[in-house]
Amino acid sequence: TMLLLFLLLLATAHGLDKLPYKPTLASPTMGGLKTTSTFVLEQPRCVFTEAQANAVIWLVVAVPKAVAKFNNSVGPGTPERAFQRFPTSAPAYMTLNTTLLNYPCPKPPGEITVLRVGSETSCTRDEKRPTCNGPLPSPGPYRVKFLALEGSKPVAETGWSEPITLRTAQPPNSIPVMGRGHSAGMIALTSILSILFAILLAGLLAMLVFWGSDACGGSSTFNKPEAVTVRRYNTHHVHDQAAAQL
Amino acid sequence: MAKSDDGIHILQGLLVFGNVVIGTCGIALTAECIFFVSDPHGLYPLLEATENDDIYAAAWIGIFVGFALFALSILGIVGVIKSNRTLLLVYIILMLITYAFEMASCITAVTHRDFLTPNLFLKQMLERYQKSETVNNNDKWMTEGVTKTWDKLMLQNQCCGVLGPSDWQEYTSAFRIMHSDADFPWPRNCCVMDARGSPVNLDGCKLGVPGYYNSNGCYDAISGPMNTHAWGVAWFGFAILCWTFCVLLGTMFYWSRIEY
Repeated sequence: TMLLLFLLLLATAHGLDKLPYKPTLASPTMGGLKTTSTFVLEQPRCVFTEAQANAVIWLVVAVPKAVAKFNNSVGPGTPERAFQRFPTSAPAYMTLNTTLLNYPCPKPPGEITVLRVGSETSCTRDEKRPTCNGPLPSPGPYRVKFLALEGSKPVAETGWSEPITLRTAQPPNSIPVMGRGHSAGMIALTSILSILFAILLAGLLAMLVFWGSDACGGSSTFNKPEAVTVRRYNTHHVHDQAAAQL
Repeated sequence: MAKSDDGIHILQGLLVFGNVVIGTCGIALTAECIFFVSDPHGLYPLLEATENDDIYAAAWIGIFVGFALFALSILGIVGVIKSNRTLLLVYIILMLITYAFEMASCITAVTHRDFLTPNLFLKQMLERYQKSETVNNNDKWMTEGVTKTWDKLMLQNQCCGVLGPSDWQEYTSAFRIMHSDADFPWPRNCCVMDARGSPVNLDGCKLGVPGYYNSNGCYDAISGPMNTHAWGVAWFGFAILCWTFCVLLGTMFYWSRIEY
């Protein structure tokens, strides 16, 4: 009889289904897959079976150190599993509780089925809401798993995910605002214009020098009032010569 | 003597033609610079906040230089036709002064364009967009300008951040101080908006689902107009100055051939 009792006890104690599924992040095409305080998981579709139809499926978020000795029997809502005390006095918290009805199988194609961890900002400091899905306080890393509870008895669990590390934001004064790199165009423009301007100034100087010594300019200058008289003289001279030859 | 008369007439004709071209280019330069100064894309507050709006100073100089070129070209035409030494000397000296100013404008525009890099605008956006605590009136003015400009930019060009929405995640910012990361991974204006100006799907936008948020950066929308502005002022001015150089050399030669 003692043996029979012992076997019965064993049977009930090992009622925990260990499912082979590991929670994963959603598709990387999402821009907000990992932010500095949230991350997005794929929903556990077709993971839990009809055996867990009456269970409440919770998401457990834990620091990696708490994974080895994690106790499934510690219920959600207790101080040891309160979001507000995570990660200092509570090494893990439980949130996003729902039933199998919300994870229907099979997954309709083309639908985005995700869970955003960290989206509830209103209850971050509300100790009356220990199952708050609040923003994560640090970049992590974190490990998650799904746990199905019937009442307070764990009936199924998935494996732990790989460690998830969130993004870290740098301060803006770490951005290097580079000193002016001079482009080739700028150098070409500046040098050509400077040379042209220098030539013009030299030309102006030469002009003023010539003006000073105006007596020199004689041979090929033209005179505006006399230009007309010179032409008249030429035609007269040619006309005279032609007449003389006739 | 007839031949040199013809030569002089040809030179006169060329100089008049050259001055006509200078005059029309001066008007064109004035018009172009007025267009740039009027800031049709509304990007001036961004430059003002960098405290380096010299490409606008270059455009302002361009307005006055263009007008001066027009006036001086008329003086030049009159001087060449009348072959008046004094007029032409005045013309040459004033033209050289205008040349110097236009040179300054061109060099300023092209030098300061090189200064406007994506990192400059990124840093400015992160430090000023929706900054809540401003130190003094000047700071407040610049912050409001940057915030309004970015809001308008992101709405009209369907873009987000300088290089992309990840700008808001990779760096902390004045925006992040006031808006939590979970509620606002990026500003609301990065979401695809419906006709009434509210996001089509706010959750989709926060998740970063393609189609519900703008995943491209705004840098192209900023640098495009600024490049056009800087290069329009600089290279058109350069072309005018090269032409003016030839006309001035011709005028100096013509001047030295006149005798009282």
